Amino acid sequence: MDSIGDECTPLKHEYDACFNKWYSEKFLNGDSTNECLAVFKKYQACVKKVLQDKGLTKMITDARPAIGSTFGDDQEAK
Amino acid sequence: MVKFYQQKYAYDYSWGTVSFAFMNRYPNPFATHVLTADTIDHRIDAKTGELHIVRLLRKTNSVPRWAKGIMRGNEAYILEEIVVDAQGNRMVAKTRNITHTRLMKVEEKQTLCADPADNSRTLCKNETSILSNIGYGLNSKIENFSLSRFSDNIAKSRKGMLYVLDLAHRKGLIRARVIADKQEQ
Repeated sequence: MDSIGDECTPLKHEYDACFNKWYSEKFLNGDSTNECLAVFKKYQACVKKVLQDKGLTKMITDARPAIGSTFGDDQEAK
Repeated sequence: MVKFYQQKYAYDYSWGTVSFAFMNRYPNPFATHVLTADTIDHRIDAKTGELHIVRLLRKTNSVPRWAKGIMRGNEAYILEEIVVDAQGNRMVAKTRNITHTRLMKVEEKQTLCADPADNSRTLCKNETSILSNIGYGLNSKIENFSLSRFSDNIAKSRKGMLYVLDLAHRKGLIRARVIADKQEQ
């Protein structure tokens, strides 16, 4: 799967590979050290720029706190 | 007015496998409308140890002919928030559309839990809410259209999940957890 920005796709793939290895081998076995932080920061910065260029940043920031709000009930919605 | 729908089913795979597949469910042949997927936030709650992921999905919009005039643009953006509690074997994923919100707001919440009676199985609960407030007498048309699409979409996303589950299983991507599951049994 590609990134929203073509220039970010290689970083996304690098992050996804790191994430999958970490998730299956470490996180699911109780180790919650965030091992993919370095590559994630690079990937995140790349996507951030694309979102700004596309004018999506505000839409995302506004929507984030409200995800799932129609279901009310739970603590995860913070 | 908000309409709610709910469906429950089970996967014949362990929770670790299913949660892994959920994170990797795009691309798959049953979700060709999903064009891109990006993780825009990844953090671990220092207190609870829970993993919090936020993703942005870009999809093509297939709308009925009568809706074409009121929907601008062929693409839709969906925001997805996933919280994973590895200790509690529980994943909660919520999505909401962030474009075309004047037409309707669709939210989905999927809860994936290890089956307490059999940890080689995973229980899934899918909740959907649809809110339409465009007016012009179109609300019920929109909501009914969404309702008819609701079960179609769940069936499709389930097929997609099974495809990814099988792939992940065969590739041995989730070996570590599968071995751990076997040792526990």
